[in-house]
Amino acid sequence: MFAQTRKTADSLEQPPSHVGRGLKVTGVLDIDGDLFVDGTVTGRINANRVMLSPESFVDGDVVANEVHVEGRFNGRIFALSVTVESSANITGKIFHNTVSVARGARVDGRMPWRPPSYFETLTQLPETRP
Amino acid sequence: MTSMFTRNEKGPETPPAPAPKPAERTEPAPAPQAAAEPVKRPLASAQPIAAATAQRGVSVISRALKITGQLESSEDIQIEGEVNGDVRAAMVRVGAGAKVNGTVSGEEVELSGTIEGKIEARKVVLTSSAHMEGDIMHQDIAIQSGAYIAGRLQPEYGKTNVQPLKAKAE
Repeated sequence: MFAQTRKTADSLEQPPSHVGRGLKVTGVLDIDGDLFVDGTVTGRINANRVMLSPESFVDGDVVANEVHVEGRFNGRIFALSVTVESSANITGKIFHNTVSVARGARVDGRMPWRPPSYFETLTQLPETRP
Repeated sequence: MTSMFTRNEKGPETPPAPAPKPAERTEPAPAPQAAAEPVKRPLASAQPIAAATAQRGVSVISRALKITGQLESSEDIQIEGEVNGDVRAAMVRVGAGAKVNGTVSGEEVELSGTIEGKIEARKVVLTSSAHMEGDIMHQDIAIQSGAYIAGRLQPEYGKTNVQPLKAKAE
């Protein structure tokens, strides 16, 4: 659904981007593909799909098509599809079109629904900037 | 479509290797990392990066990824994309086609791509495709034929000040 064809060539020739457990990134991560986060990110993530592992900690905004949260998150998520696993601990807002939250997850904040068109022009929206 | 997100079925982490690492890779990370956050695992593994990529500690900045800001790691970083900012890790590999604008520091730095800025590392390797614009502070350096260097080479790493990087980075 989300530009799958574009990514296949990419993912064949190189490993997906991975913020490892010991890594701490401060700033903006911009990727036209998938991103795994095991470490710490302070700032902003723009990606197609984002996977935040149980050990991850993200403080800031995440803009993506799909976001999968298993770790700690503080900030705002803007994604068409959001999956919150039971190990997740989220503080902030989740702007979504589809969301699922597993039993046991801690979510403190709001989860506003938006139509799909809202996410198409998201990178230009001033609202995504704190 | 969600196949990439199901890898945790294997369990949250691989068991740590029981054997101690070879001596040259067990030297402690530079102090700032040690202080930054507690890391449960021992420092970077001894395997080559191709084998280690599957491990969770190794960070990969793929070609599609562009980072503006700082990267700090107590383990290894492999950069194939673009970084505007400083990078600090136990070992940094800048792959062919990758670009870093800023200071790259660590115990070991291997450059096959482009750095505009500085390298500050105990051991520096410039491969034949390396393009380095800026000074290199090192203790031990290897330069392959074909590498481009515009800058000074200073064998000063660890001599004058054990933590020269920290003061400059902040």
